[in-house]
Amino acid sequence: MTDAELILDGEEELSLLETLDHVLDRGLVIAGEVTIAVADIDLIYVGLNVLLGSVETVNEVLGERERRLEYLRGLAPKGGE
Amino acid sequence: MRLYAYCVGDELAAETFEGATGVGGSPLMLVRRGAFAVVVSEFEGDAVPASRENVTEHNRVNALALARSTPLPFRFGTLVEDARLGAYLAKQEATLVAALGRVRGCVEMGAKVIWDAGGRAAGAVEEDEGEAGESPAAGAGTAFLLAKRREVLGEEALRSRAEGVAAALASRLEGLARESSVQVNPKGSLVVRAAHLIERGREEEYRERVRALGREREDLRLMASGPWPPYSFSGPRS
Repeated sequence: MTDAELILDGEEELSLLETLDHVLDRGLVIAGEVTIAVADIDLIYVGLNVLLGSVETVNEVLGERERRLEYLRGLAPKGGE
Repeated sequence: MRLYAYCVGDELAAETFEGATGVGGSPLMLVRRGAFAVVVSEFEGDAVPASRENVTEHNRVNALALARSTPLPFRFGTLVEDARLGAYLAKQEATLVAALGRVRGCVEMGAKVIWDAGGRAAGAVEEDEGEAGESPAAGAGTAFLLAKRREVLGEEALRSRAEGVAAALASRLEGLARESSVQVNPKGSLVVRAAHLIERGREEEYRERVRALGREREDLRLMASGPWPPYSFSGPRS
Protein backbone atom coordinates (compact mmCIF):
# COMPACT_ATOMS: atom_id res chain seq x y z
CA MET A 1 0.00 0.00 0.00
CA THR A 2 1.40 3.34 -1.02
CA ASP A 3 0.64 5.19 2.22
CA ALA A 4 2.26 2.50 4.30
CA GLU A 5 5.34 2.58 2.09
CA LEU A 6 5.58 6.32 2.43
CA ILE A 7 5.38 6.04 6.17
CA LEU A 8 8.02 3.34 6.27
CA ASP A 9 10.27 5.56 4.17
CA GLY A 10 9.54 8.36 6.59
CA GLU A 11 10.58 6.17 9.50
CA GLU A 12 13.83 5.29 7.75
CA GLU A 13 14.55 8.92 7.01
CA LEU A 14 13.81 9.91 10.58
CA SER A 15 16.11 7.19 11.80
CA LEU A 16 18.87 8.40 9.48
CA LEU A 17 18.30 11.96 10.60
CA GLU A 18 18.62 10.91 14.22
CA THR A 19 21.84 9.09 13.40
CA LEU A 20 23.24 12.09 11.54
CA ASP A 21 22.30 14.31 14.40
CA HIS A 22 24.35 12.14 16.73
CA VAL A 23 27.43 11.27 14.70
CA LEU A 24 28.18 14.44 12.76
CA ASP A 25 28.74 16.97 15.48
CA ARG A 26 29.06 14.93 18.62
CA GLY A 27 31.48 12.32 19.85
CA LEU A 28 35.06 12.28 20.99
CA VAL A 29 37.28 14.80 19.24
CA ILE A 30 41.02 14.94 19.63
CA ALA A 31 42.55 18.12 18.34
CA GLY A 32 46.05 17.83 17.03
CA GLU A 33 46.28 14.05 17.05
CA VAL A 34 43.32 12.97 15.02
CA THR A 35 41.88 14.41 11.85
CA ILE A 36 38.19 14.85 11.48
CA ALA A 37 37.91 14.69 7.73
CA VAL A 38 34.45 14.63 6.30
CA ALA A 39 33.82 15.04 2.61
CA ASP A 40 30.69 15.60 0.59
CA ILE A 41 28.69 16.56 3.58
CA ASP A 42 26.10 18.26 1.43
CA LEU A 43 25.31 15.05 -0.40
CA ILE A 44 23.62 13.44 2.51
CA TYR A 45 21.34 16.37 3.02
CA VAL A 46 19.98 16.10 -0.49
CA GLY A 47 16.59 14.59 -0.02
CA LEU A 48 16.74 14.99 3.71
CA ASN A 49 16.30 18.74 3.58
CA VAL A 50 12.73 18.25 2.60
CA LEU A 51 12.15 16.22 5.70
CA LEU A 52 14.19 18.49 7.95
CA GLY A 53 12.20 21.48 6.86
CA SER A 54 8.91 19.76 6.92
CA VAL A 55 7.25 19.54 10.26
CA GLU A 56 4.31 17.92 8.55
CA THR A 57 6.34 14.90 7.49
CA VAL A 58 7.75 14.50 10.96
CA ASN A 59 4.30 14.89 12.40
CA GLU A 60 2.92 12.30 10.02
CA VAL A 61 5.58 9.80 10.97
CA LEU A 62 5.15 10.49 14.66
CA GLY A 63 1.39 10.47 14.36
CA GLU A 64 1.51 7.10 12.66
CA ARG A 65 3.90 5.81 15.30
CA GLU A 66 1.54 6.98 18.05
CA ARG A 67 -1.42 5.35 16.35
CA ARG A 68 0.48 2.08 16.11
CA LEU A 69 1.46 2.30 19.77
CA GLU A 70 -2.13 2.94 20.75
CA TYR A 71 -3.25 0.05 18.62
CA LEU A 72 -0.66 -2.19 20.23
CA ARG A 73 -1.88 -1.15 23.64
CA GLY A 74 -5.38 -2.09 22.61
CA LEU A 75 -6.62 1.43 23.07
CA ALA A 76 -9.12 3.05 20.77
CA PRO A 77 -7.47 5.36 18.24
CA LYS A 78 -7.75 9.02 19.06
CA GLY A 79 -10.43 10.94 17.20
CA GLY A 80 -8.89 13.61 15.00
CA GLU A 81 -9.65 16.74 17.01
CA MET B 1 47.06 4.18 5.10
CA ARG B 2 45.20 5.66 7.98
CA LEU B 3 42.82 4.14 10.44
CA TYR B 4 39.22 5.06 10.80
CA ALA B 5 38.51 5.17 14.54
CA TYR B 6 35.03 4.30 15.83
CA CYS B 7 35.32 4.19 19.58
CA VAL B 8 37.62 3.66 22.54
CA GLY B 9 36.88 1.58 25.61
CA ASP B 10 38.44 -0.37 28.44
CA GLU B 11 36.07 -3.34 28.27
CA LEU B 12 36.01 -4.02 24.55
CA ALA B 13 36.57 -7.63 23.43
CA ALA B 14 38.00 -8.63 20.05
CA GLU B 15 35.41 -11.38 19.50
CA THR B 16 32.62 -8.78 19.38
CA PHE B 17 34.05 -7.52 16.10
CA GLU B 18 35.27 -10.75 14.53
CA GLY B 19 34.16 -11.03 10.92
CA ALA B 20 32.46 -7.64 11.02
CA THR B 21 33.22 -4.78 8.68
CA GLY B 22 33.07 -1.03 8.99
CA VAL B 23 33.11 2.07 6.79
CA GLY B 24 34.00 1.16 3.21
CA GLY B 25 33.64 -2.55 3.93
CA SER B 26 37.05 -2.87 5.62
CA PRO B 27 37.34 -5.46 8.40
CA LEU B 28 37.15 -4.17 11.95
CA MET B 29 40.18 -4.49 14.19
CA LEU B 30 40.73 -3.93 17.87
CA VAL B 31 43.92 -2.02 18.62
CA ARG B 32 45.12 -2.37 22.20
CA ARG B 33 47.23 0.32 23.82
CA GLY B 34 47.77 0.12 27.57
CA ALA B 35 44.43 0.03 29.36
CA PHE B 36 42.50 0.95 26.24
CA ALA B 37 41.21 -0.73 23.14
CA VAL B 38 40.16 1.19 20.04
CA VAL B 39 37.89 -0.17 17.33
CA VAL B 40 39.33 0.76 13.95
CA SER B 41 39.35 -0.24 10.29
CA GLU B 42 41.77 0.67 7.52
CA PHE B 43 40.73 3.63 5.42
CA GLU B 44 42.09 4.77 2.08
CA GLY B 45 41.68 8.41 1.25
CA ASP B 46 41.97 11.77 2.91
CA ALA B 47 38.40 12.33 3.94
CA VAL B 48 35.33 10.28 4.66
CA PRO B 49 32.32 10.96 2.45
CA ALA B 50 29.30 11.70 4.60
CA SER B 51 27.16 9.28 2.69
CA ARG B 52 24.12 7.54 4.03
CA GLU B 53 26.02 4.24 4.05
CA ASN B 54 29.08 5.59 5.86
CA VAL B 55 27.09 7.37 8.53
CA THR B 56 25.02 4.25 9.11
CA GLU B 57 28.14 2.05 9.25
CA HIS B 58 29.82 4.35 11.76
CA ASN B 59 26.83 4.11 14.05
CA ARG B 60 26.36 0.39 13.48
CA VAL B 61 29.92 -0.39 14.60
CA ASN B 62 29.47 1.75 17.69
CA ALA B 63 26.15 0.06 18.43
CA LEU B 64 27.92 -3.30 18.16
CA ALA B 65 30.39 -2.13 20.79
CA LEU B 66 27.60 -0.69 22.93
CA ALA B 67 25.84 -4.05 23.06
CA ARG B 68 28.61 -5.36 25.34
CA SER B 69 29.88 -2.32 27.21
CA THR B 70 29.80 1.45 26.94
CA PRO B 71 32.62 2.90 24.81
CA LEU B 72 33.42 6.51 23.99
CA PRO B 73 32.44 7.01 20.36
CA PHE B 74 34.63 9.13 18.12
CA ARG B 75 33.03 11.71 15.91
CA PHE B 76 32.16 10.59 12.39
CA GLY B 77 35.13 10.91 10.04
CA THR B 78 37.90 10.44 12.61
CA LEU B 79 41.06 9.34 10.78
CA VAL B 80 44.34 8.70 12.56
CA GLU B 81 47.72 7.19 11.89
CA ASP B 82 48.57 4.19 14.02
CA ALA B 83 51.53 5.85 15.76
CA ARG B 84 49.47 8.96 16.48
CA LEU B 85 46.73 6.88 18.02
CA GLY B 86 49.20 5.37 20.49
CA ALA B 87 50.57 8.80 21.37
CA TYR B 88 47.10 10.20 21.86
CA LEU B 89 46.00 7.38 24.15
CA ALA B 90 49.13 7.69 26.27
CA LYS B 91 48.82 11.45 26.56
CA GLN B 92 45.11 11.49 27.30
CA GLU B 93 45.02 8.46 29.59
CA ALA B 94 43.72 10.24 32.68
CA THR B 95 41.06 12.14 30.72
CA LEU B 96 39.86 9.01 28.98
CA VAL B 97 39.74 6.98 32.19
CA ALA B 98 37.57 9.68 33.74
CA ALA B 99 35.36 9.90 30.66
CA LEU B 100 34.84 6.14 30.58
CA GLY B 101 33.96 6.20 34.27
CA ARG B 102 31.40 8.89 33.56
CA VAL B 103 29.46 6.74 31.07
CA ARG B 104 30.05 3.28 32.52
CA GLY B 105 26.89 1.23 32.80
CA CYS B 106 24.95 3.86 30.89
CA VAL B 107 23.57 4.51 27.44
CA GLU B 108 22.52 7.72 25.79
CA MET B 109 18.86 8.33 25.03
CA GLY B 110 17.51 11.26 23.08
CA ALA B 111 14.31 13.27 23.14
CA LYS B 112 13.14 15.80 20.61
CA VAL B 113 10.19 18.09 21.10
CA ILE B 114 8.37 19.61 18.14
CA TRP B 115 5.75 22.33 18.33
CA ASP B 116 2.67 20.98 16.71
CA ALA B 117 1.72 24.33 15.22
CA GLY B 118 -0.56 23.28 12.40
CA GLY B 119 -1.51 19.83 13.53
CA ARG B 120 -3.79 18.22 16.04
CA ALA B 121 -3.70 21.05 18.58
CA ALA B 122 -3.51 24.21 16.54
CA GLY B 123 -6.30 25.64 18.66
CA ALA B 124 -4.28 25.18 21.83
CA VAL B 125 -1.38 27.12 20.39
CA GLU B 126 -3.14 29.96 18.70
CA GLU B 127 -6.85 30.08 19.19
CA ASP B 128 -7.73 32.07 16.11
CA GLU B 129 -5.55 30.19 13.64
CA GLY B 130 -6.98 26.69 13.74
CA GLU B 131 -8.35 26.74 10.22
CA ALA B 132 -5.07 27.72 8.58
CA GLY B 133 -3.56 24.44 9.79
CA GLU B 134 -5.97 22.50 7.62
CA SER B 135 -4.70 24.02 4.40
CA PRO B 136 -3.62 21.43 1.81
CA ALA B 137 -0.41 23.41 1.30
CA ALA B 138 0.70 22.25 4.72
CA GLY B 139 4.35 23.29 4.39
CA ALA B 140 3.47 26.85 3.57
CA GLY B 141 0.67 26.72 6.11
CA THR B 142 2.99 25.78 8.94
CA ALA B 143 5.61 28.33 7.94
CA PHE B 144 2.88 30.94 7.95
CA LEU B 145 1.61 29.82 11.32
CA LEU B 146 5.06 29.88 12.83
CA ALA B 147 5.79 33.34 11.46
CA LYS B 148 2.44 34.57 12.63
CA ARG B 149 2.87 33.07 16.04
CA ARG B 150 6.27 34.70 16.45
CA GLU B 151 4.75 37.99 15.56
CA VAL B 152 1.83 37.61 17.93
CA LEU B 153 3.54 36.13 20.90
CA GLY B 154 6.82 37.92 20.60
CA GLU B 155 10.20 36.40 21.04
CA GLU B 156 10.23 36.72 24.80
CA ALA B 157 7.03 34.79 25.17
CA LEU B 158 8.30 32.09 22.82
CA ARG B 159 11.52 31.79 24.74
CA SER B 160 9.70 31.49 27.99
CA ARG B 161 7.36 28.86 26.55
CA ALA B 162 10.27 26.89 25.07
CA GLU B 163 12.08 26.94 28.38
CA GLY B 164 8.88 25.76 29.99
CA VAL B 165 8.86 22.78 27.64
CA ALA B 166 12.48 21.97 28.45
CA ALA B 167 11.68 22.22 32.16
CA ALA B 168 8.68 19.93 31.77
CA LEU B 169 10.87 17.34 30.04
CA ALA B 170 13.58 17.67 32.70
CA SER B 171 11.06 17.27 35.47
CA ARG B 172 9.56 14.22 33.78
CA LEU B 173 13.00 12.57 33.61
CA GLU B 174 14.02 13.41 37.12
CA GLY B 175 15.69 10.52 38.90
CA LEU B 176 16.26 8.75 35.58
CA ALA B 177 18.77 10.92 33.74
CA ARG B 178 22.24 10.82 35.23
CA GLU B 179 23.30 13.72 33.01
CA SER B 180 21.66 15.79 30.35
CA SER B 181 22.64 17.92 27.38
CA VAL B 182 19.79 20.14 26.24
CA GLN B 183 19.45 22.65 23.42
CA VAL B 184 16.46 24.96 23.39
CA ASN B 185 15.43 26.65 20.16
CA PRO B 186 12.36 28.84 20.75
CA LYS B 187 12.14 30.10 17.18
CA GLY B 188 12.12 26.76 15.42
CA SER B 189 9.65 23.93 15.22
CA LEU B 190 12.17 21.61 16.82
CA VAL B 191 12.05 23.43 20.10
CA VAL B 192 14.05 21.09 22.33
CA ARG B 193 16.83 18.65 21.47
CA ALA B 194 17.88 16.73 24.52
CA ALA B 195 20.29 13.90 25.20
CA HIS B 196 20.34 12.01 28.48
CA LEU B 197 22.72 9.58 30.04
CA ILE B 198 20.71 6.82 31.69
CA GLU B 199 21.51 3.48 33.30
CA ARG B 200 21.30 0.43 31.09
CA GLY B 201 18.04 -1.41 31.43
CA ARG B 202 16.01 1.73 31.92
CA GLU B 203 15.55 2.55 28.20
CA GLU B 204 11.89 1.56 28.12
CA GLU B 205 11.19 3.60 31.23
CA TYR B 206 12.75 6.58 29.46
CA ARG B 207 10.62 6.07 26.36
CA GLU B 208 7.51 5.70 28.46
CA ARG B 209 8.18 8.89 30.40
CA VAL B 210 8.72 10.81 27.17
CA ARG B 211 5.51 9.33 25.71
CA ALA B 212 3.60 10.24 28.84
CA LEU B 213 4.59 13.86 28.46
CA GLY B 214 3.49 13.69 24.82
CA ARG B 215 0.09 12.37 25.87
CA GLU B 216 -0.36 15.21 28.32
CA ARG B 217 0.75 17.98 26.00
CA GLU B 218 -1.43 18.13 22.94
CA ASP B 219 0.53 21.11 21.63
CA LEU B 220 3.74 19.06 21.39
CA ARG B 221 5.10 16.07 19.54
CA LEU B 222 7.73 14.09 21.40
CA MET B 223 10.16 11.66 19.90
CA ALA B 224 12.43 9.43 21.95
CA SER B 225 15.43 7.71 20.40
CA GLY B 226 18.15 5.36 21.51
CA PRO B 227 19.90 3.58 23.00
CA TRP B 228 22.91 5.37 21.51
CA PRO B 229 26.57 5.16 22.39
CA PRO B 230 27.23 8.26 24.50
CA TYR B 231 27.91 10.61 21.56
CA SER B 232 26.79 13.62 23.59
CA PHE B 233 28.76 12.71 26.69
CA SER B 234 32.16 11.76 25.30
CA GLY B 235 33.70 15.18 24.94
CA PRO B 236 34.61 17.64 27.64
CA ARG B 237 31.75 18.57 29.93
CA SER B 238 29.98 21.63 28.63
